[in-house]
Amino acid sequence: MKESLLEILCCPLDKHDLELEDAEYDGEEVVGGDLVCTECGEAYPIEDGIPNLLPPDMREETPA
Amino acid sequence: MTLEERRDDQPDVYQPAEDSQLLAEAACERLAGSETVLEVGTGSGYIAARIADETAARVVASDLNPHAVRQARTEGVETVRADLVSPFRDGAFDAVAFNPPYLPTDPENEWDDWMEHALSGGEDGRAVIDPFLESVGRVLAPDGVVYLLVSSLTGVDGVVEEAGDHGFSAVAVADESFPFETLTVLELLR
Repeated sequence: MKESLLEILCCPLDKHDLELEDAEYDGEEVVGGDLVCTECGEAYPIEDGIPNLLPPDMREETPA
Repeated sequence: MTLEERRDDQPDVYQPAEDSQLLAEAACERLAGSETVLEVGTGSGYIAARIADETAARVVASDLNPHAVRQARTEGVETVRADLVSPFRDGAFDAVAFNPPYLPTDPENEWDDWMEHALSGGEDGRAVIDPFLESVGRVLAPDGVVYLLVSSLTGVDGVVEEAGDHGFSAVAVADESFPFETLTVLELLR
């Protein structure tokens, strides 16, 4: 993801802003780290450049 | 690679089909090009990549399926793993495109893998469409527009009525008939 994506993302639970923490970069691309909600503190991992913004109870790899 | 080969190669991800092409064409024709666009349920990333290639819009794609967001990213699309529009800010998008899972499926016959999630709309075909219509208004800019693919198998009139309940007026902007269904692209405006 690009850092500019933060302008359109929010916490899926309470819709507050997210902050990028422990970012790993590959050029301009953020390839790892966490997006952390400034309100509830929930952390959403960035996996291989893709932020996983599913609510924590939906995060598992298996369907349903 | 042919479409058939891609299908075999990516059994966990819905690959582009007639519905994808119809929605991609309708959206590309109607977007002015300077918009910020979200494609929900992007699957292979085909529709999002076409909008990015054929217009000047900034395109973001989301999917629930981890295999889909990985494939879409290889198409060069900026992707987010998400449940419908839940992690996007209020008013963030000028347009949202969605080719939803729409096949009415008997609960006895659900097969519970990623492809089922990509295809099945539950018993009435609207298990994903209705929550989408309820939530999409929040992320649309004031003059924002939704391009939603609907099949006659799901029932276009019912979807138009549901959209109306959430403040949208619907116009059919493209359709195509096949032996077992007619596909329609609805443009939803508030």
